[in-house]
Amino acid sequence: MWAYVIRRLWQMIPTIVGVVLLVFVLFNLFGGDPAYVLAGKISNPEQIDNIRRQLGVDQPYYVQLGIFFKQILTADFGASWSTNEPVSHILATRLGPSLTVLVPLLVLETLIAIGLALAVAYVRGSLTDRMVMIVCTVGLSVSILVYIIVFQYVFAYQLGWFPVQGWGNDFRENLVRYASLPILILLVVSIAPNLRLYRTFVLDEINQDYVRTARAKGLSENRIMWVHVLRNASIPMITHVMAALPGLLIGAFLVERFFSIPGIGREVILAVERSDFPVIKALTVYVAIATMVANLAADPHVQGRRPAGAAQMSALFDPHPGCAGRPQRGGRR
Amino acid sequence: MNDATMKPPLAARREIPHVVSPGLWTLAWRRLVSDSVAMVSLAIVVAFVLLMAASGLGVIAADWAREVGVNYAPPTFVGPDAAPAAPGAPGRAGEPAAPAGPTPGSAFDSTVVDPIGDVLAELKAEAKGKAEAPPAPGGFVDPLADVMKEIDAAKAAPPEGKSVDPLADVMKDIEAGRGAKEPAAAPAATERRATLPFGADKWGRDVIAKTIKGSETSIFVGLAAALVATFIGTVLGAVAGYYGRWVDDTLNWFYSIFSSIPYLLLILAVAAVLQHKGTMTIVFILGLTGWTGVFRLIRAEYLKHKGREYVQAADAIGASNARRMFRHIFPNVSHVVLVQMSILVVAFIKSEVILSYLGFGVPVDVVSWGSMLNEAQNELLLGKWWQLAAAGGTMAVLVTAFSLFTDALRDALDPKLKGTTGQ
Amino acid sequence: MTKTTTNLADPLVRVRDLSVSFRLDRKTTFEAVRGVSFDIPHDATVALVGESGSGKSVTSLAILGLLPPENAIVDAKSQILYGGRNLARLAASELRGMRGADISMIFQEPMTSLNPVFTVGFQIEEVLRLHMGLSGAAARKRAVDVLAEVGIPEPERRIDMFPSQLSGGQQQRVMIAMAIACEPKLLIADEPTTALDVTIQKQILELIGELQKRRQMSVLFITHDLAVVGEIADHVIVMRDGEIREQGPARDVFERPQDPYTTALLKCRPQIDRRPARLPVIDDFMSGAGIDPGTVLERPRGVAPDDPVVLSVRNLSKSFWSREGLFGRREFRAVKDVSFDLPKGKTLGLVGESGSGKTTVGLTLMRLHEATGGEAHFDGRDILAMSAREFLPYKRRIQIIFQNPYASLNPRFIVGQILTEPMEIHGIGASAQERTELAFELLHKVGLPEVSFYKYPHEFSGGQRQRIAIARCLTLKPDILICDESVSALDVSVQAQVLNLLQDLQAEFGLSYIFISHDLAVVKYISDQVMVMNEGAVVEIANSDEIYRNPREPYTQRLLASIPKGWHGEHARAVG
Repeated sequence: MWAYVIRRLWQMIPTIVGVVLLVFVLFNLFGGDPAYVLAGKISNPEQIDNIRRQLGVDQPYYVQLGIFFKQILTADFGASWSTNEPVSHILATRLGPSLTVLVPLLVLETLIAIGLALAVAYVRGSLTDRMVMIVCTVGLSVSILVYIIVFQYVFAYQLGWFPVQGWGNDFRENLVRYASLPILILLVVSIAPNLRLYRTFVLDEINQDYVRTARAKGLSENRIMWVHVLRNASIPMITHVMAALPGLLIGAFLVERFFSIPGIGREVILAVERSDFPVIKALTVYVAIATMVANLAADPHVQGRRPAGAAQMSALFDPHPGCAGRPQRGGRR
Repeated sequence: MNDATMKPPLAARREIPHVVSPGLWTLAWRRLVSDSVAMVSLAIVVAFVLLMAASGLGVIAADWAREVGVNYAPPTFVGPDAAPAAPGAPGRAGEPAAPAGPTPGSAFDSTVVDPIGDVLAELKAEAKGKAEAPPAPGGFVDPLADVMKEIDAAKAAPPEGKSVDPLADVMKDIEAGRGAKEPAAAPAATERRATLPFGADKWGRDVIAKTIKGSETSIFVGLAAALVATFIGTVLGAVAGYYGRWVDDTLNWFYSIFSSIPYLLLILAVAAVLQHKGTMTIVFILGLTGWTGVFRLIRAEYLKHKGREYVQAADAIGASNARRMFRHIFPNVSHVVLVQMSILVVAFIKSEVILSYLGFGVPVDVVSWGSMLNEAQNELLLGKWWQLAAAGGTMAVLVTAFSLFTDALRDALDPKLKGTTGQ
Repeated sequence: MTKTTTNLADPLVRVRDLSVSFRLDRKTTFEAVRGVSFDIPHDATVALVGESGSGKSVTSLAILGLLPPENAIVDAKSQILYGGRNLARLAASELRGMRGADISMIFQEPMTSLNPVFTVGFQIEEVLRLHMGLSGAAARKRAVDVLAEVGIPEPERRIDMFPSQLSGGQQQRVMIAMAIACEPKLLIADEPTTALDVTIQKQILELIGELQKRRQMSVLFITHDLAVVGEIADHVIVMRDGEIREQGPARDVFERPQDPYTTALLKCRPQIDRRPARLPVIDDFMSGAGIDPGTVLERPRGVAPDDPVVLSVRNLSKSFWSREGLFGRREFRAVKDVSFDLPKGKTLGLVGESGSGKTTVGLTLMRLHEATGGEAHFDGRDILAMSAREFLPYKRRIQIIFQNPYASLNPRFIVGQILTEPMEIHGIGASAQERTELAFELLHKVGLPEVSFYKYPHEFSGGQRQRIAIARCLTLKPDILICDESVSALDVSVQAQVLNLLQDLQAEFGLSYIFISHDLAVVKYISDQVMVMNEGAVVEIANSDEIYRNPREPYTQRLLASIPKGWHGEHARAVG
């Protein structure tokens, strides 16, 4: 398994290089002269030249690219163009609030969606099942913006159950007081699609032969669902949750913005609004790396959940066409 | 589609009684027709597309920007405001609907770490910036100008933010908006109606016309971007899956780059770089960043079909690569393409709404559901709910119909999946 | 209907008027089983035989109440009596208590029937905990014991393995262990050996037979293969289209079949010791048209040393590589130095178990796989060394018919397109009209009506589709036809028709066949020469009659000994 992990990590390198190149091309080639962008603040031409020299944008592209790689490796992206705060400091301080919202969200959402998915799959084809699916579809069609606007208005302004917005320094206060309405909204928004997805995962498993075997053994439907089916369906579910993790970090940006939560997502929007390239570049590259690592962790082989045993090896070797394994073609001698 | 274009040479057939059997598309269509939910959804979607076309051609809602009502004219069924909002002194009359601010004080704790200040201040600055921004897309707009203003505004905001009444901000905002709008509006401001069928926005524009115009933008962006993304994803996916080896490795490299950056972050990054706004820019951004899902599925389909016996049989009879790819495999995966495109339309409509809401989307002189929601957010605080309801509701109806139709389409094209209720 | 005789007053299971239908959509239902009645006696093996769609599996699933509740309807009159209770009407919880304890079941695909994420031990201990109240060490010990009983070597070690770490035969043994762990009275085996190689099939059949005797339980054995039935069954029930055609003691059914369908099934299958010029087909018996003279005549088969050779293969090799470790690649040699000559107008049979490389040989000769090494001389030229362009004119002269007739025809083409496309590509026929005419001619030749031209593949049965695939090959007038398990997926009666067609075409066009199959009886019947392969290498190559009469290599001997012999009178148990 370790050989597999190391190989996967090794295979990540070209992708990371690609992400860096993409970001570089976007911001350094298409993004226009950064000094020009900064000129909104400082209009003295000498100072512009100074800045250009400091940023290294007067250098040829390959030198700039080298600088960029060095920045990534040393995790030192310099300072934000608009606030002069070091980028690394921005990243470090914004992660906490984001996670305060996201971790409880992820846990609650996964548990609720899986529970509901099993329940709905249990009564598959029934009226309840169809109604739940239709409610999910309708719920999904309402823009997240509408949810946020209405919930904030009703629960915070009108009813006063939650603070309208804000963030403190105390973790418990943040979690209980400020994060609960954002979490509630994100729950409402994210359960519908995940419930639909997990339901199909469960239904895929329910039609497998081993479920028939389990019935033939005399197991109760509950045990079949919660032990046999869930264990198998959890493989794609975990993969999905892990893979969605970094995206969530960004996906929550609307909520962070509306509720003034100083998190990563809000920082992205601010940076885009201010054309604060160093911050966007750093965020993009690091979130991409986080995504890749999460995907690796989500790989069932790495988790060791599906034993890569003899059968899989033979499937890999199976010279019969149309089989799952894709053997490398050997060239002619 | 192959049914029509790939007829065998029947021109010279021997005279035998026959009927050409219904193809898989015909069968799928029959299944679809027998599904009432699908048909209703399809009717709604078609109605929206017709609306889009009509509005695009200027048949309806052409003068959506005219200020036909009084500011915040309520819907007719609600009845006119007791004291119609007058320029300069709007709104307190409409206040019953707005909260007296029982809680918000707590939101402005001194512990707030946000360097910029509260959201309202931001919104205010944004609204101001927008109203004043020249709508010329061609000219270079200094991006920092907005930011500087925002920062200025933020600096100014806290004292007001600390006041107990959140509406103070809003009022300012409205005044600012009015102030900016006034000169342009003046000539048209003759006889304005106290109510409109579904109300008016803060400048007195008809919400229904605005919603129609907004639908046009949002649906057009969704459809066009989905076409672009599906085209890119299908072509690359087909080539990668069919040829394999280094072609696949290269395209997969591209795929992994694009898919490892979270979708919204990628969109925002591109939006940050592309400074000039425009409807086509949004289509371009969404299309160029959204092809990965189609690519993954189509590549997998081609990989699967390449090994199928019917493709090997085509190889055995000497069919060329192009023939195998397009005449043999493509009709067998085209339903996947169709369903994916349909899913993308919904996703892109949602993305466009968010982007436009944030101000990275369509330019200020274009209305979309997203920009309507942006305005509606502040209006709600004044109790003016109709623009929010119109934009949010219309979008929900279309997206629901589209999603239900997509589900039905998938079931009709691939009856094996139906069910999922077991055999 | 013949009555089953039994020496015990009450049979173990008494099925009366069992009817099952399936809802297809809101309006249509399909009657899969119609009024079936039979008994399963104590301590006996009952075989339920039928072709696809006969309702045999549905019947067996109905006994345990395992039909999908969403769309299966068991008729209210149906009775499945076991121990004085009607299983068809039993409450779900009561029925659950009997599953796995009184009646247990094993299935066709052991690989997918075991849960991939639990160890073998967990899955066996689960039934022990449930039905026998064993737990912890006691359950584990019992699980090891049953694993040992079903012949799993090193059961203490294997018990902690996952199903995917076991071979197919071992997986089926684990399924059997799980089924017999709680000492059931009845074991239902639904095609338990169909997915297995013939040598493994023999072992599993022997195991089931042994266990049946030792445990004195009853076995309901569902299969399509009469030869297998002859090996193990005491009673035979023949089903077709949801109805029972004939039932009775195995001796009666095999020696004096009453129903023409039973007779047809017995005769349609090629036999090892006879080679009629034409195989009897089902219509010969069902229509009562009388026996075709061709089915009595013997057809001589064999290759003479001076037969002209059309294809000469030397040292053909094919390797696949897989990634291993950090940088390593592991080579898997699917075909190793295979050499043979294919005489003109003759059939070379290629037999071997799964993974023997027989299919890879066929695909490599077609250049659907790139060969790793070796030569194949055709018309004096090495077709493996040609460029793709050079090969194109040769391509039409070597054609292939695949195993799965459901996958080998493009579902989006009508038959007319399927047949005219190859002619278009190779410029056969001067005009579209001529090609269409030719297509009609070929449809006629393979015995399909002309209207087929305008239909889609999904409107045809498996056998008809295989005829379409054959017609497609014939459009190119090939010299060599590679049949890759081409009749393996077909029902016995349809198999005979397709084999007859292949022989007719060989006689008419002088085709040379490379006939790849795991079915030793079919290969024996159709081949002049047989090549036995194992693990990618040639074991033995000889004239068909010679190799079956006098196998030289131990592997061939073992393979031939595994062929189910069918009924031959001296069957172990006499019943009644």
